[in-house]
Amino acid sequence: MVLLANFLAIAIVLNIIESAIPVIPVPGAKLGFANVVTLIVLYVYSFKDSSIITLSRVFLVALLTGKLLGPVFYMSFAGSVLAMLAMGLFKKSNFFGILGVSVLGSVFHCIGQVIGGYFVIGSTAIILYLPIMLFLSIPAGVVTGLIAQRFLKVWETWNKDIQ
Amino acid sequence: MFKKMGLQKKRDIYLIGFLFIFLGGVFLAFRLLAFHEDAAMAHIYYGNSNDPIVTVDFSRQTIERHYDQSVPSSYDGDYPIIDLDQQTITLLGDYTVNGIRQIVVIKYDFNKRSVQIIEEQSPNNICSREGESTGWPLICLPNRIRVEFVTDQGDFTV
Repeated sequence: MVLLANFLAIAIVLNIIESAIPVIPVPGAKLGFANVVTLIVLYVYSFKDSSIITLSRVFLVALLTGKLLGPVFYMSFAGSVLAMLAMGLFKKSNFFGILGVSVLGSVFHCIGQVIGGYFVIGSTAIILYLPIMLFLSIPAGVVTGLIAQRFLKVWETWNKDIQ
Repeated sequence: MFKKMGLQKKRDIYLIGFLFIFLGGVFLAFRLLAFHEDAAMAHIYYGNSNDPIVTVDFSRQTIERHYDQSVPSSYDGDYPIIDLDQQTITLLGDYTVNGIRQIVVIKYDFNKRSVQIIEEQSPNNICSREGESTGWPLICLPNRIRVEFVTDQGDFTV
């Protein structure tokens, strides 16, 4: 429980830092580096824990930055929820490793954000931004996946030491 | 168990490779193929409405103001404000600084048939960084203002 709270704190910080990096031409859209915590919790704990962490993160970040229920919040919410569901599903299917799950999570994060954006501005024009977002999401997903992979290795040896 | 891990890793690499090529291709196709025609009009929308609030007609070189932007009475100014000398259109965006909604200034150019967001408040001012556009829609999500172009497809005369 304490560790989960720590994970949540890390996720919030990552999310706030990420929103300061303007890499994507759609304002408010993010590459989803905060998904690294969702991914780690998904592998270390369970889907239930990772969804609680993800949803808490989205709400707390919006609250901290004062953007609760603003346009960007809906994008962030839709993206995170879709990424979370996709990662949970692909992890369960056991077809891909952590790297693949991470990339797919990243891709679905972008799709979710665009769906959120569609409801915010009510125009399909935002779909035109999807190709560049998806393309950028692949390296983002790979980086996220590598970080999670490295973390899990450290985590395992650490766990063994304790026992 | 270890053999299975190896298989997953292989699949991961295939997946990343496939997505990279596929999405890269889609991205390139969009960049190369979309929006080479001259735009006939540019519609400016606010919020999630599909009725343009202002239309810039490049062909007839006119600005059409369709309706008032409904803003709280505490904001003075009759938005959208159209300045024909400066060639700008000013709207009130959704992004707030200290609780006050900020303006979005859009510049149009009849000759270049282009539109550009030149002044706005948003994180990192990313909306004005989108630059000048002649076809690609300009979307400023934090302000919920967007510009979409329309080509005159019925007209084939050169």
